[in-house]
Amino acid sequence: MTDEIDDELWDDDEDTQKDKYLTFHIAAEDYGLDIACITEIIGIQKITVVPNMPSFIKGVINLRGKVVPIMDIRCRFEIEEREYDERTCIIVADIKGTAVGLIVDQVNEVIDIPEERIEPPPESGGRSYSRYISGIGKVGEKVKILLDINTLLFDEEIEQLDDNDSKVSAP
Amino acid sequence: MADQENNEQLEIIHEFINETRDMINDLEPTIIGMEEMVGQDLDADDKETLNGVFRLFHSVKGGAGFLNFGHLVQCTHTAENLLDQLRNGELTLSSEHVDLLCQSCDFSKEALDYIEEHGDDSGITESADNLMTRFKEATSCPAEQTPEIPPRPDELIIDLETPARQLISAEDRQKFVHESSAIIKRIETNLNNSKNNKKTAAAAAEAILADISLFHENCHFLTFDELDKLTGIIMLVLENSKSHKTTLQRALNFIWELIEVFQESLDNILQHGMDNVYGLEMYLELFNNLLPPDAQVEIHCPPPTRLGEILIQEGIVKNEDIEQALSAQERPIGEILVDQGLASREQVNKAVKIQKKLRPMTGKSAVCSKIPKRQEIRVDLEKLDNLINLIGEIVIAENMVIHSPDLHNLELDNFNKAAGHLSKIVRELQEMAMVIRMLPISGLFRRMMRLVRDLSRKSGKKVELQLVGEDTEVDKTVIEKITDPLVHLIRNSLDHGIGTPEERAAAGKPESGVLRLEARHEEGEVQITITDDGRGMDKKRLIAKAVNKGLLEGDGSQLSDAEALQLIFKPGFSTAEQITDISGRGVGMDVVRKNLEEIKGRVDVISELGSGTTITLHIPLTLAIIDGMLIRVGDSRYIIPILSIRESFKPDSSAITITPDGRELVRVRNSLLPILRLHKIHNIEPDSRRFEDGILIILESREGNICLFVDELLGQQQTVIKSLSQYIGRQGEVSGVSGCTILSDGEVCLILDVQALVE
Repeated sequence: MTDEIDDELWDDDEDTQKDKYLTFHIAAEDYGLDIACITEIIGIQKITVVPNMPSFIKGVINLRGKVVPIMDIRCRFEIEEREYDERTCIIVADIKGTAVGLIVDQVNEVIDIPEERIEPPPESGGRSYSRYISGIGKVGEKVKILLDINTLLFDEEIEQLDDNDSKVSAP
Repeated sequence: MADQENNEQLEIIHEFINETRDMINDLEPTIIGMEEMVGQDLDADDKETLNGVFRLFHSVKGGAGFLNFGHLVQCTHTAENLLDQLRNGELTLSSEHVDLLCQSCDFSKEALDYIEEHGDDSGITESADNLMTRFKEATSCPAEQTPEIPPRPDELIIDLETPARQLISAEDRQKFVHESSAIIKRIETNLNNSKNNKKTAAAAAEAILADISLFHENCHFLTFDELDKLTGIIMLVLENSKSHKTTLQRALNFIWELIEVFQESLDNILQHGMDNVYGLEMYLELFNNLLPPDAQVEIHCPPPTRLGEILIQEGIVKNEDIEQALSAQERPIGEILVDQGLASREQVNKAVKIQKKLRPMTGKSAVCSKIPKRQEIRVDLEKLDNLINLIGEIVIAENMVIHSPDLHNLELDNFNKAAGHLSKIVRELQEMAMVIRMLPISGLFRRMMRLVRDLSRKSGKKVELQLVGEDTEVDKTVIEKITDPLVHLIRNSLDHGIGTPEERAAAGKPESGVLRLEARHEEGEVQITITDDGRGMDKKRLIAKAVNKGLLEGDGSQLSDAEALQLIFKPGFSTAEQITDISGRGVGMDVVRKNLEEIKGRVDVISELGSGTTITLHIPLTLAIIDGMLIRVGDSRYIIPILSIRESFKPDSSAITITPDGRELVRVRNSLLPILRLHKIHNIEPDSRRFEDGILIILESREGNICLFVDELLGQQQTVIKSLSQYIGRQGEVSGVSGCTILSDGEVCLILDVQALVE
């Protein structure tokens, strides 16, 4: 179903997906992801643990016969883990044919953030955190941290982030 | 509109490519089989073989001509010429000819590849020219110019399904016209004779009848319908009028007049490919009148192909009735007539039969129906995999429905009955899905025939290839994966194994070596053995070579025979003194092992110095499914391939030994096996850490046996293997896990890689 809808959107007008971001909540902050890469949102379900994985890869789930790896964004950002609850969601993203699920605390809504309302990510003295951020979107009084899905998923140089760095993303 | 036409064109081309590839694949073994005929007189069977090859080339040519692939037409045409000369005895078959025909196949394949990519074959002029030159050198008569692509009669455009068989090549037509002219000349002479000498009229009529029937046969074969009909009726008349001098005389007079008509028609064929006979109906009528009334035939041109017309002709119904029925036609006309009581069921059925008989003559070529064709349909592999995935989903969904917690404690007789039925169908569906992907291994073996032939010619060695178990069915992916290994192994056998005829004679063996390729199902796997009766491998030399190349530490004296033979799989290992273009670079066996490991198979080597080598490939039946044992540790479940499990048992505490360095061993009969705690490896909380509470499973592998400690065995089940996402692979080495599967409750479950666990 979702594939069909995506195709339709794609065929009709590429612009309909432009500037649209799915916003979600982790810890105290709101984040946003470009909706072009998102295929669906599902509730949390039992995850099968895969050995020898980095801590932020929680394992795999079965999504209608497809085996989808799951990343916990809290762990990726080294935010303290918490119990999953009924609001915990898995956002399934599709990057060049690879489906990956992202665990977030809560999914909010899809909003428009025009380009001129987005500021470049803060310079953080070259340290690692800001590379996951594509920009800071301003919606009214609030701020959404826009994530770069590619570096989030495929950046393999995982560095130890110390506390100072993690605060950069939450100014 | 233009787009659509374009698409249709592409589709036709695609179809053509696929069909032709199949044809060529069928062709190659036959061509190689022709080798046996070299230097011998051809008997009827051999001629039939030649004809078969000829027909296939001809079909390819027809299709290529239709689609305007000039080079392909040229190539197949030249091959046809060669075959024609062989057939007529103008040339004696030699190995060079077989080579040439093989090369034509190669060229055709190349052309097809090119066409697939670029849509035409104009870019391969060079190889086409090469091939032509070689043909010219080999055949006494130089390759002719490409025949003009025959103009296509209109009907061909409508009938796209069998373009290859529909076409009659210009060459065939020329031959036909040429022959027919000769026949007509003969008829003319005979007619003259009969006029001059009334006494010999009967004999002349006999001769004319013979010639006319020959002409008739030819026309019929090439589907020149009008001439076919005309000559047909003339034959009838001549046959019937043998005893009536006057009718015979009249008939001969008519034929006299027809000579010109025939010639005109032949001219038409030459120019337009059509056999239009002007005034056909009149002539048919003339001859028909000469027949006795009971032998007269219905003449309608074109022959009736509509059911109504046939029924009218048979005098079963009247024209008005048909028209009435037609005006209300929504169903087949036959049914309407039966319903209205105008014709009986039998009468209509009979007419339908006549209709069927008539149809192939007017429309599609009758030739094509003579070739029995396997009923098959080409499907994109991806679609098939999707289907199989979906069927997997159905199995899971079905389980979810039937074991739904909502149904718990309910009395549901009807539901259970229906659910049982559903389960049965789903199982069947699943089995079908598994079979779909299986292909007989014969295609792969056939390719090897060609390889063996080429290699043996190149190296001057004589080899007899024996194929056994060609119809063994294997998963398509497996076939793809073992193609390369098989090629390497055969090359090795020919290059290193089987010696030259002189060498073999000196060793007291027959000059011609035997290479045996055998496939069979055994022990839940497919085994392919390659056996040669060649030199065999010298273990001492293998070890020396390995030490020499630095692939082995020490002097290798501690190696067992089997271990020494395993050395050949090391990358960079080659015992060949010189690198030939067949083998010797030392990559081959490495590839064999790597490919086999990818499909979870293994290679065994047995070799006896002086008497030959046997290499066995052990391959799982399919990559998609294995028999698995479901086990549990704490909350986690795992699948272990049944093939790796030797036995399982509840250990007795007295059988367990703990070494001073903390290693746990268990005594099983006479051996001590190390124990691996699965919960430790995967970091799970088990039910119990005491061996007495859980169960030990003995796992077998090449590297040795171990015991795996788990909480519980849950049961055996068919396991559909899925790969863990690529993304997981990027994140780190998943050791000890070969893939995953989805259990009946929808949960993902890891499949343990026994080999890796043991290591």
